[in-house]
Amino acid sequence: MTSARLPYEPDPVIEAYKKDVDRTLLRENLKLTPTQRLDKLSSLQSFAAELRRAGKAARAAQQS
Amino acid sequence: MLVGSGVELILIGGVAGFAHGSARLTQDIDFVYRRNEENLMRLAEALKPHHPYLRGAPPGLPFKFDAETLKRGLNFTLTSDLGDIDLLGEVTGGGTYEDLAPQCEKLDVYGQPVLCLTLPLLIATKRAAGRPKDFEAIAELEALEEERRATGDL
Repeated sequence: MTSARLPYEPDPVIEAYKKDVDRTLLRENLKLTPTQRLDKLSSLQSFAAELRRAGKAARAAQQS
Repeated sequence: MLVGSGVELILIGGVAGFAHGSARLTQDIDFVYRRNEENLMRLAEALKPHHPYLRGAPPGLPFKFDAETLKRGLNFTLTSDLGDIDLLGEVTGGGTYEDLAPQCEKLDVYGQPVLCLTLPLLIATKRAAGRPKDFEAIAELEALEEERRATGDL
């Protein structure tokens, strides 16, 4: 994990953001194949769309 | 769908990151497309049935998605029945399809070979773009690269 092996210089701003990265999510994703990862993305997108729809419906109900 | 139609594309952006193991949810799919005559025609034919339209533009504009339109433009941000699609003729820090293709890796996605930016190249292009909104994404991709190096996966 030494930055000396990386093909670019570490950027202090990026390094600061990196501290907050949840690496447990990355480690779980790395156990999957690319197809499985994209299936996961598709499921998350569908769920996000459903939440968006539900939020819109709730706001409309509040206004009426 | 596009790959199955023989369209020459490179998967970049958030979905490419996700394919590599990123956990960031993304709304659109970004491709770099090859800009030769044949590919412009194939791309137009493959996408046309899915009603591509300029994203954010008012409805009713005389926008015709065909090879000629693709030829006249370069980068297109589109909405379609398949979702939001960005088609890029060129990407900052990476160049054109021809520049990028030799450095890409082939991922097996749903049994189809999909050309995808490698993780280091994805990081390099995001760094080159220099957009503050990408800082978190770059940090996550670099962390991912570190995790993959640590497990000998890169």
